[in-house]
Parts: sequence; structure tokens; C-alpha cells
Amino acid sequence: MGVLEHKGRARLFYKYLSQVYDRINPFIWNEEMRDEAIGWLELDGDERVLDVGCGTGFATEGLLQHVETVYGLDQSPHQLEKAYAKFGRSGPVRFTRGDAERLPYRDDAFDVVWSSGSIEYWPNPVDALEECRRVVKPGGKVLIVGPDYPTNTVFQKLADAIMLFYDEEEADRMFREAGFEEFEHHIQQARPGSPRAITTVADVPEE
Amino acid sequence: MNEDLLDIICCPLDKSELELDVRDRDDGEIVSGTLTCTECGEAYPIEDGIPNLLPPDMREETTA
Repeated sequence: MGVLEHKGRARLFYKYLSQVYDRINPFIWNEEMRDEAIGWLELDGDERVLDVGCGTGFATEGLLQHVETVYGLDQSPHQLEKAYAKFGRSGPVRFTRGDAERLPYRDDAFDVVWSSGSIEYWPNPVDALEECRRVVKPGGKVLIVGPDYPTNTVFQKLADAIMLFYDEEEADRMFREAGFEEFEHHIQQARPGSPRAITTVADVPEE
Repeated sequence: MNEDLLDIICCPLDKSELELDVRDRDDGEIVSGTLTCTECGEAYPIEDGIPNLLPPDMREETTA
């Protein structure tokens, strides 16, 4: 029997799917979780911060509570339209359209790279993580929020079929392969039963 | 686009510096123009004030 032939299961699948696809769904990723993650960056206020996959600007907005200017990158003009409406095209956010796996920024251009709700869409996450490391100065931080690998086997099948999900072990592998040595993972969850986020804070090593 | 962005952006392909050619400016902001890679010669447009530094192979398929 195919996994979607059971109607109850199918309903759950699609409910879960739609939640996962909405990057700022408050049941998955809300302001409280975002602000907790921003706290792990220990920003002083003078850092140059890049938001990779800034989308509609949900995280950008949180970051702007700590720094004056945020650099925002996204490939989608449609997602960015909402961000322009929020911040203006020439306000506190320096927008650029670009690809996470081939970042259009110079080596060591930033103190911090933040990326939330984007890694699951990267075809080659290790390449993108390497790029994040490249554009951050040694001693700076890279923070990535992605979807944690589901514990329920039905959701696992869905996860494996549609996009990247990863557990701590897989996160270890990806970050090591991308050249990071020191990092920690935090599991974040809006409420019991809702999909969990895995948030990794990595230190950019000296060359 | 704010001109100080030039200090940190580069060609996404070979990471070389970009040369700015301004077509239209409004109140200091660059509204339209072109960024050309000083190494490979690839030209990237500035559209409605936003530099489009997507690699050329991705420029067509950005409807997500």
C-alpha cells in the first residue's frame, strides 16, 4: 500500500507539508524562537550581518533590533517583494539577488551569516555552508536554522522524498565537510508535537 | 542600491571585483545600471535598485 492511500495519513502529510513550506509559519518558527537564536550570536551592534535566503524578511526584522544595517540575499523576486514593502528598497536592508551556493560577496566581508528556513532548499548544502564560511571573517559566526529530521516514520518518508531534513549527526557531517571545527546544535520547537527546528551556531575558524 | 555595497559584492562565479556602470540614480541610490566582472566580463543588471547577482544559469528560473 502506498503511503498516501490511507486518507488519514495523507491528510497529515499535506498538513505537515504545507506547514513546512511556509517559512514563517508561527507553529514552526515564531518570533520567540527567532529571538532566542539571535541571542546566541551575542551581537554588540556594530557587526556586519548577512541574511542568506532572507525571503520576506522575518529574520531580517529580528536582526535589525540588534544591528543598524542587515545585508539580505534571496533568489526569489516574489519573496523579496514582501521584504521591500516592509523595509523599502533602500532602507536599513541592503538587498541583493543571488544564489546561496555561489555567494556574490568577497572573502571575509561579514562578521555573521544568518540563514533560517533556507537550507532545506539548497541542492548542495555543503557548498553553501562553505560559501558562508568563506564570506565570514575568522572568529565570526555562521548560524543556520533548518528542519530537524522527523522522529515519526511516516514523516520520515515524506522528508526523504521532498527536501532536505537532517538530524544532529548529519548536521555534524555537513558542517565538518564545509570546514567548520567548532559548532553546537540547538533543537527548537514552538510547542510539543510541532515540527522541530535544528539551529546550528558555528565558529568560523582561522585559516 | 547603495554605492557602498560595491565594497563587499563580487562576481558569484569567480569572486572578482565588479565594475559599476550607472544608468539611473535617484537621491544617491543607484536605481538601474550594470555590474560587470573585471575578470570574466559577465554583466549583472541592477533592477529597480536591486543588484541581480544570480549566476547567469539561474536568471531564467527564479520564479519560486
